[in-house]
Amino acid sequence: MKIFFKKALIALVAVSSLLTVPAFAQQTVKVGMSGRYFPFTFSKRDVLQGFEVDVWNEIAKRSDYKVEYVTSSFSGLFGMLEAGHIDTIANQITITEARTAKYAFSVPYVIDGVQITVRKGRDDIQGLDDLKGKKVAVNLGSNFEQVLRKHDVNNEINIVTYDTGIEQDVALGRADAFIMDRVSSVQLIKEAGLPLQLAGHPFEEIQNAMPFLNKPSQLVIRDQVNTALAAMRADGKLAEISNKWFDTDITQ
Amino acid sequence: MQSSFDLQYIIELMPILFKYLGVTMEMALWGFLFALILALGLALVRVFKIAFIQHLASLYISFFRGTPLLVQLFLLYYGFPQFMPIFIGMDAFTAAIIGLSLHFSAYMAESIRAAILGIDKSQMEACLSLGMTRLQAMKRVILPQASRVATPSLMNYFIDMIKSTSLAFTLGVAEIMAKAQMEAASSFKFFESFLAVAVIYWVVVIFFTRIQHLLEKRLNKAY
Repeated sequence: MKIFFKKALIALVAVSSLLTVPAFAQQTVKVGMSGRYFPFTFSKRDVLQGFEVDVWNEIAKRSDYKVEYVTSSFSGLFGMLEAGHIDTIANQITITEARTAKYAFSVPYVIDGVQITVRKGRDDIQGLDDLKGKKVAVNLGSNFEQVLRKHDVNNEINIVTYDTGIEQDVALGRADAFIMDRVSSVQLIKEAGLPLQLAGHPFEEIQNAMPFLNKPSQLVIRDQVNTALAAMRADGKLAEISNKWFDTDITQ
Repeated sequence: MQSSFDLQYIIELMPILFKYLGVTMEMALWGFLFALILALGLALVRVFKIAFIQHLASLYISFFRGTPLLVQLFLLYYGFPQFMPIFIGMDAFTAAIIGLSLHFSAYMAESIRAAILGIDKSQMEACLSLGMTRLQAMKRVILPQASRVATPSLMNYFIDMIKSTSLAFTLGVAEIMAKAQMEAASSFKFFESFLAVAVIYWVVVIFFTRIQHLLEKRLNKAY
């Protein structure tokens, strides 16, 4: 009798697990971000949030993914992607030639420009030409160092890479300017309460997208993400998320 | 900067950081345990001058003492998976513990070896004359005395290891330093955030220094 019960129980468990499997078949997508790029990805009272998080929660909802956020130093994110620890990076990754050669990008979801920011009251810097002989801060591992070096053919700009706190060093006067994208520069000045101002107009349009490894399994995810992004663009959801964080549409 | 010091912010941040202190301590404790086992093995291999293996041990110690911990962590977590797919499955937390153990075992092996060599040679000779094997003599006579000598420097490495766990955020482990950086990214209160995290490390280290004193007292009872 006991053995019968045991057998029946095992059979029951086996059958029920077969029945419930499809419900759990939701695919998990791991999204890497720095958690240190306000207001795209940051933590407040221990809650990870920001533009990137909202965009990905929406993509996950539309594609029936379970999304898992992995936070790491920015300089470690591409290593994680390469090593297969994450599926993609949502951290305003700019599409560049070198990256396109290596990775399969989603469609761009943010269009932006490169912006110079200086200490409040400094009007001697209005554009790229004024940066000659100046100390200009960029984030370690970010794309802005290459952008700057491309324009700096004679090596006249003193480019300094920072791991953290570039806005603070410019406000303190330790560096003359920092280079970041326009949108986050505006946000930074507004929220930081640091004496900073935008210098001149942004140059060079940049397109930001999510990189995936060039493998069949990853390209499937990329295509699903593209479908979701296109739908979000069409029904205004993408613009709505942008307006929530930036009071303007940075996705066009 | 003219922004004023915000004590209220630190008070609010502390409980958030404390939630992740467990991750930091788990890495340090596991890392130290594995490092200790590895270091003991390495030290014995070098003390007994075991043919061939002793040269491997020397090479190991040379490499892990001769390269920065951050480089070793990056090699382990970002480098190896590129040509050894088995490493892809390793999560960042595990990689950090492995990296810390490998790195610190090299240092600890040397201080254990020094402690063993500090015990007078005549003791080993006396044991051998009584018919013990070298391993028995090591276990029963030499190591108990050596452990007393090695404790202060091993505790030193443990304290160093606690602080070195702050490098784990470069691999994506959400420990207290990671949380402090991420909170500072939105509040822009860098001074307060990093001061809070410094205080937590300091208090933890003071706690373990007390434990070290108690441990040393116990080990010194016979003397």
